[in-house]
Amino acid sequence: MNNTLLSLTIAILFGIGTFLILRRDIVRLIIGLGVLSHAVNLLIVSTGVFDGTKVPIITDDGGHGAAEVTGTIFTDSLSQGILAPVVEAGHQVQYVDPLVQALVLTAIVISLATTAFILILAYRIYEEYGTTDIRELRRLWG
Amino acid sequence: MISLETHLPIILIATPILMASIMVLLRKYPGIQKVLSVSVSFILAILSVFLLLQVWSGGIQAYEVGEWGKYGIILVADLLSSGMVVLTSFVSFLALVYSLDYIEEKSLNASYYPLFSLLVAGLNGSFLTGDIFNLFVFFEILLLSSCGLVIANEKGGVTKSSDKMEATFKYLVLNMVSSIVMLIAVASLYATTGTLNMADISVKLSAMSAAGTLPWHVFAIALMFVVVFGNKAAIFPLHYWLPDVHPTAPSPISAMLSGVLIKVGAYGMLRVFFLIFIDTLYIFKPVIIYLALATIVVGAISAVAQTDVKRLLAYSSVSQIGYVFLGIGFGSVYGLTAALVYLVNHAIAKSMLFLISGGIIHHAGTRDMRKMGGMVDSAPFMSLMFLTGAMSIAGLPPMGGFIAKLQLFDAGISEQYYFAIAIALIFAVFTLFYMFRAMLLMFWGEKRDVSEYGEYSSHGNSLMIALPIFVLALLIVVFGLYAEPLVSLANATANQILDPQAYIDAVMTRVVR
Repeated sequence: MNNTLLSLTIAILFGIGTFLILRRDIVRLIIGLGVLSHAVNLLIVSTGVFDGTKVPIITDDGGHGAAEVTGTIFTDSLSQGILAPVVEAGHQVQYVDPLVQALVLTAIVISLATTAFILILAYRIYEEYGTTDIRELRRLWG
Repeated sequence: MISLETHLPIILIATPILMASIMVLLRKYPGIQKVLSVSVSFILAILSVFLLLQVWSGGIQAYEVGEWGKYGIILVADLLSSGMVVLTSFVSFLALVYSLDYIEEKSLNASYYPLFSLLVAGLNGSFLTGDIFNLFVFFEILLLSSCGLVIANEKGGVTKSSDKMEATFKYLVLNMVSSIVMLIAVASLYATTGTLNMADISVKLSAMSAAGTLPWHVFAIALMFVVVFGNKAAIFPLHYWLPDVHPTAPSPISAMLSGVLIKVGAYGMLRVFFLIFIDTLYIFKPVIIYLALATIVVGAISAVAQTDVKRLLAYSSVSQIGYVFLGIGFGSVYGLTAALVYLVNHAIAKSMLFLISGGIIHHAGTRDMRKMGGMVDSAPFMSLMFLTGAMSIAGLPPMGGFIAKLQLFDAGISEQYYFAIAIALIFAVFTLFYMFRAMLLMFWGEKRDVSEYGEYSSHGNSLMIALPIFVLALLIVVFGLYAEPLVSLANATANQILDPQAYIDAVMTRVVR
């Protein structure tokens, strides 16, 4: 159920993004690029969910994803003197691949930089051409 | 004491990034900036040659960043990547020397040096990295820094700034879409194999293929990579941004874009398809060949009708990159050798022609070839150099382009791709026609009407502008007359590409410490 909803969300975001980058208005085009890049970010995160006990984390026992199953949820409570979130015995935990989150962080930062650049560029185009209609940008033709 | 030899790959990437920040700090001291950037660029060129020699004698080098073994980022220098780094370093050194006199002072001091350093870092990084997500990151560095450089102003102001905005917008939007496609492909590849290391992906995909369980979406991922690298290299359905962007950029940047940047696409094709997607190549070889043929045809036909000298050279780039992809599509040792020789010769000749076009534009004050003429009297050096470059692009002996075309056609005939070679030959004649049409329009015939267009300016051929052009012309003639070292290097590289086991061994023998 969860996975279906997630896939559906990603698909709808891709649809909206594709629709927006086909618009004539430059600002809508830029918004469309933003929506598309967030759809990709969700896609990357969605590849990182695992079922089962094989965890893609290198532990110091040298094993490849052979960390022992603690099987608990994370709790922290000041009254018991537990400061950091730790795991209690007797609970099943679903692990998430930590690498994809690092990838998504990188992708977000890169899309921030390109979006900032393209917004400035759009403003300069508006100054030069006096319009944000993409069909008016045809001085280079021929 | 750090020993220099073992750290060469990271030095070639980190030094330009460091230089970019130093250049921003030094923007009030243009004298120091000039000396420092040129000397560092020269040192990088020397170091890249050392790296190539080291790889040539000692085999493939894998450099672990952070010592995480195959789980972390690995820089790999094999013959292909170190050869491309040498090409990049030399062309960028010469372009930098050229731009000292060519780019407007204000633009040069504030933004040009840092962005140029970042461009070099991005190029070196994308050639040297062994991690596919890292390749994406370096592609983005390339994209943003080259966008900033296209906007930089040259002296004289021949290109209007609204043109630059329009071209950059087109370039940026298309490349953002292609980087989104690349991210999708990388994410699906990671979800399929659970690793981002290219050698590791290759091992896992060939294990799947041997077991007969290669999932069908691997073919879709490979198709996405065709789109991504095709967009970088301006292959036929994705070529239309190039003739707008390359002419509007200042000439040294056009030389970098046409000489080196579009070759990143060819490099990516060679690396990704001949390392990772070996088992899908039987489908994609014909696709690459037909796309390459379409590129050759479209580029050559469009180039014939151009009146703007830089636009003509840009369309010629489209046509010539098609020949490189034709060699890649043949997929044999001989075909790849020819493609690599072609790639190097085109990089040198086309960067030289773009540098010359900058000198011509300075001289004539316009980019329109109809408003030039008879310049052989007023600019004899430029016309001789243009003739050299035009002969190399057209494939006439004794220039380097002749060897490249000869090898490519010979490879095609020995692989029995007669139809492809027939088309390529016909449009090689077109190349001859449009290059010499430009030559005749600009340099021969009557001098232009002085009362209408004004006198040719006498400045413009300073030593800083002439020297890089002369060095590149010398290289063209050397590669034409004494092609043996380049051909044998390309042959060794092609053998290494087609037998990826050495690359995989060099990367995978590392263990986590």
